[in-house]
Amino acid sequence: METDTGSQNTHRKPKTFDQKNWISENLNYKKDSGNWAWILHRITGIALIAYLFLHIYSLSPLTEGEVAFNNKMATFASPVFMVIEWFLFAFVLFHSLNGIRIVIVDWADGAKYHKQLYRLSWIVGIILFLAMGAIMFSHELKNLF
Amino acid sequence: MYKYRVSKNSGSGSWVVQRITGLALVVLMIGHYILMHYQPESGHTYEAVLARMQFSWYRIIDLSFLVLGMYHGLNGVWNILRDYKMQPWARISVLSGIILFGLAFVAWGFVIIFSIPYLS
Repeated sequence: METDTGSQNTHRKPKTFDQKNWISENLNYKKDSGNWAWILHRITGIALIAYLFLHIYSLSPLTEGEVAFNNKMATFASPVFMVIEWFLFAFVLFHSLNGIRIVIVDWADGAKYHKQLYRLSWIVGIILFLAMGAIMFSHELKNLF
Repeated sequence: MYKYRVSKNSGSGSWVVQRITGLALVVLMIGHYILMHYQPESGHTYEAVLARMQFSWYRIIDLSFLVLGMYHGLNGVWNILRDYKMQPWARISVLSGIILFGLAFVAWGFVIIFSIPYLS
């Protein structure tokens, strides 16, 4: 049995978080599915609360009656806004499905299979995203084929 | 015993409420999407909104959706901000700013919903 040898003694200094380069530190650490879920949950969450404010604002012409409201809705019916709406649904999907995953991890022993749940939420999310695209753009798709 | 403990509030209550409101929002969101996107043009005109709003329970669901969403969202924002160390004055100003902002927009939502007339 070997006791202390030189090679075993040269432990690397434990890496600490470098506050001054916090952006690169955050970008460079190795991320597994849980880290990505956490990051994306925050980003989508902030986007969704920002959208809720925008949603209240954009529905406010309801107070001014039919003409004002329908004028406002006409701008949102343009193709650009519809694509934005479609991607909004992607944010809703990720946040909802990952939120369900979080509840399962917290309350239903999901910590044992949280990585499978993460992958499953992506699969379900992509399917629902494409299905929503097919519904939202059904007229355009009909014209294409 | 707890020399460095500054707050008796562990945050567990807000954690539970965040999960319950989140699950409720998933259910409400499914209904919202079926209603608004069952067909490409469903639900987006003034007539459609007016027709829906004749049912008071519909207004109640809409406003609960608004309150739950606003609470869940702003509580989430506050959870993110709590990850960063803040001076007490900054904490209080940020938190009261969030609460006032949320209350103002919820109030706006109520005003919008109740401005839609009931057709007798």
